[in-house]
Amino acid sequence: MTSAITQGLERIPDQLGYLVISEDGVLASAGELENDEHTAGVIMQMVQTACKFRLQESSEPPFKRLSVMFEDHVFMVTVSGTKVFVVKRQNNQRDPINV
Amino acid sequence: MESILEQHLDETMKNPAIVGILCTDEQGHNLGCRGSLSDEHGGVVSVLASQASKLSSDPTDSPTVCLESDSGNILIRKHNSTTVAIHKMNS
Amino acid sequence: MGCCFSSENDPSGEDSGDRKPLLNPVTNLPNKASNGTERISTNLPSTKTDEQAALTSILTRTALNIIDVAAADSQGMEQHEYMDKARQYSSKLAMLSNTLSLKKPSLLPSLTNQPHQVLASDPVSYSDVQQVFKIAAYAYSALSQIKVDAKEELVVQFAIP
Repeated sequence: MTSAITQGLERIPDQLGYLVISEDGVLASAGELENDEHTAGVIMQMVQTACKFRLQESSEPPFKRLSVMFEDHVFMVTVSGTKVFVVKRQNNQRDPINV
Repeated sequence: MESILEQHLDETMKNPAIVGILCTDEQGHNLGCRGSLSDEHGGVVSVLASQASKLSSDPTDSPTVCLESDSGNILIRKHNSTTVAIHKMNS
Repeated sequence: MGCCFSSENDPSGEDSGDRKPLLNPVTNLPNKASNGTERISTNLPSTKTDEQAALTSILTRTALNIIDVAAADSQGMEQHEYMDKARQYSSKLAMLSNTLSLKKPSLLPSLTNQPHQVLASDPVSYSDVQQVFKIAAYAYSALSQIKVDAKEELVVQFAIP
């Protein structure tokens, strides 16, 4: 793991932790996601599921980022090369949802 | 009843930014869809919604999943047994 | 018995080793058939050997087509025979696995060349999140009176390690 990759992740605004995952397992982890094998596993499954998504005969997945938004935090995921990058960021959009 | 859902889907599609909507149950059955989202997306949509809920230990904090691109987003949200996906273009 | 079609004749004589049944039923016969066939063979005069041979061959053929489950426990092979068979089968499988290798799940497509930029950009707007929440809540209430009677799972997850 080159440090340039992790340094870049550390500079992401409101970042609470990150994961770098390859098909063989977790390559790097930090912050709230340090050694978080559970999150890594679930996110790998989600990426594999999401990459099957196709819109109208397009051969490429129709997205470049997958986000999972909770009330106070958000997981953002992308794939570059053969690595899956995950960053957990604080969600500052605080207003509670009104039904 | 069913026609209420159909009306709801039609109403939603009147929003010019929304180009597709899909409604599925927990098994991925298509309960109704319009525009760019169709039958074939039901499985992926419902699986993504249930996988995402495994990322939180708090069952009341249910997540919104979003597949984002430069042109638009597909937002997926589960409400009890129903999962809805909308395809919304960026303005 | 040993494997599919193991009782088919193999005129070439090859592969007889790995097509032999794991349990040899013929050796079980004296115990199981002590009231019938066994007595016949001992009581018959020796001049009837031809007939006896024919009977024995019928018996053997019949026995080969039967798996005696009850006898399998007590009259199995010696442990080293099991080991030999296990080794034999696994080497056969290893040979086959080279040609029939399982299809590897496809590699993930690369979604971007600038992962940091993609991850650092603003999250989806809160109004969009709220909008899908409301649409989902409304759809649920519209559907809550409809019962869908699912007969079987429609969603099956493949190739998840």
